This record gives sequence, structure tokens and C-alpha cells, in this order.
Amino acid sequence: MYRIFLSWRFLRQRRTNLIGVFGIFLAVGALILILSIMTGFLEETRKSARGSLSDIILGVTPYSRNGLPRDPAPILAEIRRDERVAGAAAHLAWMCLLTRDDEWSLGVLTDSQRSQYAGIKLTGIDVADERGAAEFIESLERVDKQGERVVDVKNPFAPPPEYDADIGRPRDRIIVGERVMRAHSLARGDRVTLMTAVPDPRSDTGWSARKREFVVAGTFRSGENEIDLQRVYVDRTQVARFLAGVNEDQALPKDAIEYSEVLVKLADYERDARAVVADLSLRLTQARLIDEYCSIVTWEEFRGPLLGAIENERVLMGIMLSLILVVAGFTIFAILSMMVTEKRRDIGILTALGATPRGVLALFLWIGFWDALIGALAGALVGTWLAIEIDPIEFWLSETFGIQIFNREVYIFDSIPSVVTPIAVALIVLGAFVCTLLFAALPAWRAANLDPVEALRNE
Amino acid sequence: MSSAAALVLSARGVVKTFVSGESKLEILHGVDLDLVAGERLALMGPSGAGKSTLLHVLGLLERPTAGSVTLEGTDAWSLGTEQRASLRNRHLGFVFQFYHLIAELDAVENVMLPAMIAQSRGEFASRKREHLAKARGLLEGFGLGARLKHRPTQLSGGERQRVALARALFLDPPILIADEPTGNLDRDTGEVVLELLFREQQRRQLSLLLVTHDERLAARCEHVLRMDAGRISNGRRDAR
Repeated sequence: MYRIFLSWRFLRQRRTNLIGVFGIFLAVGALILILSIMTGFLEETRKSARGSLSDIILGVTPYSRNGLPRDPAPILAEIRRDERVAGAAAHLAWMCLLTRDDEWSLGVLTDSQRSQYAGIKLTGIDVADERGAAEFIESLERVDKQGERVVDVKNPFAPPPEYDADIGRPRDRIIVGERVMRAHSLARGDRVTLMTAVPDPRSDTGWSARKREFVVAGTFRSGENEIDLQRVYVDRTQVARFLAGVNEDQALPKDAIEYSEVLVKLADYERDARAVVADLSLRLTQARLIDEYCSIVTWEEFRGPLLGAIENERVLMGIMLSLILVVAGFTIFAILSMMVTEKRRDIGILTALGATPRGVLALFLWIGFWDALIGALAGALVGTWLAIEIDPIEFWLSETFGIQIFNREVYIFDSIPSVVTPIAVALIVLGAFVCTLLFAALPAWRAANLDPVEALRNE
Repeated sequence: MSSAAALVLSARGVVKTFVSGESKLEILHGVDLDLVAGERLALMGPSGAGKSTLLHVLGLLERPTAGSVTLEGTDAWSLGTEQRASLRNRHLGFVFQFYHLIAELDAVENVMLPAMIAQSRGEFASRKREHLAKARGLLEGFGLGARLKHRPTQLSGGERQRVALARALFLDPPILIADEPTGNLDRDTGEVVLELLFREQQRRQLSLLLVTHDERLAARCEHVLRMDAGRISNGRRDAR
């Protein structure tokens, strides 16, 4: 009984113990606050890393098909047979240059300072398949003042009212990212030219140039800077015709490339992703719809290096911040060591009255336990509160002291992202307990092994 | 010497050697000692004679290099640490020269400490009223009724020693070991403490082993053993 009673009494009566409690409080509170903000930052970064990627991306190499079907219909049908698949859409993507026939737009191509606007990823899509498979439709509805919405979201490639039908051969429509729109000073109904090169075995150089005019039907906004700056959408079959070098109304040649990737959306990504990737790999290979040059990956695997870096950062941050706990634990060690020296006589008295070395060990471990309990609980409460309320607190601090703590213009976030995960809070509290008890163990062991006679002589 | 049946504490051939590096220092050279139920036995001797060391060996605080200590028929040093601690808790009451009270506890809590050590939390909690009444009764009996909630630093030397005596008696041990109990007190205060000590010893029929330098105090014991250079020099002598 005396272990708990005396440890609590020693803790209350000795003010130096409060330093240890405060140390743990500070460490736990700071850890929760910083890790919550870090987790918030990383989750936001992770979201932005995913962007408009679908759950599973099936990539093919368009110019080495080894006899595989060039038409995406069989592979889409096979993928959609899987009940776990919510939607699938074929894309035909190609890198192009985009320009208007004016000085400004050509300047974009030649000015190294603005070279980021020059390369464009032309993406051919089937509007009917996009809904449920990718975020294309949503991105059309998200247009803000920088862009111009398409006339009909359900039929986005319909000619815009500004389209002049009397300009000769009918041009196909293009939907551009809103940053592309702004970079080239475009408006709905304007004509833009896409230029690219495609492999061509009949050509002396092995490559043939392609150039075609399109009419701007409107803009989309994915919310990702890179995509809104570098992507344009055109109907997939028209992209195939463009790359094959045939006109908009001509039939596709047999060897035309019709798709380069298939995006697959799952009903439950977390549950099924890995299993569906494995199953699709097997089934599509057996059906001779893909070969060893094709890849089927989840979006996380697609962004593997970036996500790996984010995860590494989180782990490293956790390890570095855990050092705060070690410092707090060391404070406990120092205070308890001092206490054992101060309490030598009391240890002798307790032994004379019948306490065992094990009891004395437990007595000092209990002091460590109280330190951890009070410090960790208070730290967890305050740290969690700070993490939840960090935005108004930062605002208040900035207002009060006239300094900007979090510059919202530097980051893509409107507020300080903070995510408090109960499991992380529990682990930090547990870590504080383990750390404190480990650091308390050494002085407690020293107390338990004191010679009671020597301790009693300690006057 | 009393009959063997009445022995409560007995030491046979106790040797204590301290080793420091290469050198060995033998403090006790085969000491024999018997403490009979209800008797007062004084242990006297000059400083460095080995009195305190013998007291610590008999009090189960210091293991002898050789020899045995039998407490209530049990060879105490053959027991494990836990059993020996329990034996010390229930059979021995200590009164030290420097009181040795716990500064963070008040007088009542200090007195109850042996029970806290002996009992589990549940057991102590279920008997707390009984313990509190007993501790208060002891302290009131020792003239400390107004000091129950006082901490050691708020008590005088004599009061502290009375609290220490109450603590030693709390679990009704059959043996009381007192090491210079008045050595740190003035004559009058010491006298008050001694009166209480002897009164309780008499009333409870305790066996008292008293270490003292004071001839007058030793004279109040039934038997006196004199120690010199780690040996009992006079065998057992009737003090009166």
C-alpha cells in the first residue's frame, strides 16, 4: 500500500518533481501539436499528389502493341466485368506544343522564362465513359473567373456559340486548363494550334510532324496547378485521327493508335485495390489484351516515389520529435536520481520497517508513473486543443503581435492544415509513459539496492 | 540465563568482516547473544566496539559474514529477502537516535507506516479506521494528542522520538531495538522518552535491546552486555 501512497506524497511535497511533470507536459503537448500539423501538411500534399488520378492506371505502349487490339472496347469490357470496378475510361495521351498564330502565343514558346507553358499534354477522352471513372466532368463544373465554362457539361465538345462555322473545314473542339487559357490569353471560340511529332517508319527521319487547329470550347479546373497549366482535352477518336494524320471526318487507319491508358475507378479502393490489380493483370494477360510491356498500378504505386518521400518525411519527423520525449525522460532521470540521493535516509527507514528492495523499486517507479500520468494527460489535452484550434490561435497571435506566422500565400492551403489522429495521440502518451518509466528505472534500481545501514547512517 | 524456551532473539558466533579492496576488517569476532522474552538488555561499549554493527545484524539489516541469528525460532538470515523483510516488519520495532521519521508524512501517518508496509492496499483500506484509531490512541497516550496532524519538522526532538516510539510499537512487535534513543535529546526530554519506553516495555512485556553509552540508563535494564573490540567482554551480567 505504501508504494502508491508514499510516491504520491513525495511527488506532491517535492516541488522539483513538478519540473519533470512540466517537461513531460511540454514534450507531449509539443509532439501532438507539431505532428498534427505535419500530418495535416502531409495529407494535403498527398491529396495534391493524387490529384485527378483514378484508382488504377493501366498503361500501354501505343507504338509496340505486339498484335494486341488497338481498339479499347475489348479491354474496357473485360475490366467492367469485374463487380468491384465502378467505372473505366480509355485515354489517349500525347505531348504537344500549343500556340496561337499570334506574337504573344509564339512568344510563350520561345521565352525561356515562360517555357512552363509550352509543353501541353493532349488527352483524348470519351465523355460518356469519364463520369464515374475520372474527375473530368467535375473539373468542368469547377471553373472560376479565370476560365470559361463549356456550354453544356453533358456534351462538352459541342461547338461554342462563338464558333464561326464559316471558317472552312470544321475544326474539332478542345477544352483547355484554365491556366493554359490565361497563359495564351484565350477566349472561348478562339482557334489554337497543336503541334507534335509521331513515330513514322515510312519517314526518312522515322518521325512525322503533325499540326492541327482546334476551337476552344471552354476550360476545366482540376485544382492542380500542373494539370491546369499543361493539359488539354479533345475527343479521343479525334486525337487518334490527329496522330494518324487523317482529317476529322475521315475513317481511322487500321494501324492508328486509339488509346494509351485506361483509368479504372473502384467501388472501394481501400478494400479492393491490390486484389483488383492482381486479378486484372492475370485476366487481361490471359485474354491477350495486355502484354509484359503494359503496367497496371494503383495511383499510390504510380506516385510511389513522391508518396514514399512523404512517408519518409513523416517517419523522420516522428523520430526527431521523439527526442523531445527523451529529453523529458532525462529530466525525470535527473530529478529521480537527485531524489534517491536526498531520500537515502527514508529508504533506510522503510527497509528497517519491513520494506523490500522490490517495494522500494516500485515506490520510485510509481513516482515516475505519476510524473508521466499528469504530464502526459495534461500535455495530450492541451496539445490536442492547440492542434484543433491552431488556426484561430495563429490568427490571434498574428493580430496581437503584428507578425505573420503562417503565410497563406506561400502555401496552397487557406488555413494551417492540422489533423489530430487519436492513435497518434495514444502512441505519444504511451511513448511518454514508456520513456519515463525507462528513465525512472535506473534511479529506482539504485534506490532498491541501497544498503539500508548506510542509508540510516546518512544524517 | 533464562531457559531456551523463552528466547525471542539469539545470535550465535556472529562474525562481521568488512572488505575494502585488499584489506579486511573484522568488526565482530564470533558474538553470542540471547534476548529473552520480556527482558531489558542493555548493550554498552566504547565507540567502535561494534555495538551498532551487532544491532544491525540482530535487526536483520546487515548480513553477518558468519554465524546465525534466530528470531522467534527462525534462522532469519537463511530466509529470502521478502520473508526476512516480513519478519522484520512484524517482530521488530526500531527506535533510532535520530528519530528517522518521514518528513512528508504527519505524525499519525508516520505511526501507521509499518501497517502500510505490511498490508496490501485493500487490506489497509478495509482496516483504515482501526489503524487510525490505534495510531491516534498511541500518540494521545504519549501526550501528542494535539500534534496528530503535525509534520516532523513541526515537532520538537522529544515529540519526534515519541512519534518514533509509537511507530515502533504500532504492530505490537515482541522485540524493541533502541539505538541510543535519548542520545539526541536533552536530559529532561530524554527522561520523558525513557519513561514512556520503559512503561510500554513493561506493560506489553516486550523484549528490549537497548544500545547506550549512558551508565545510568543501562542501570535501569535487567542485564547489561559490554562490548569491546568486537567481542562481548562480560558475558551476561545482572545490572542490578
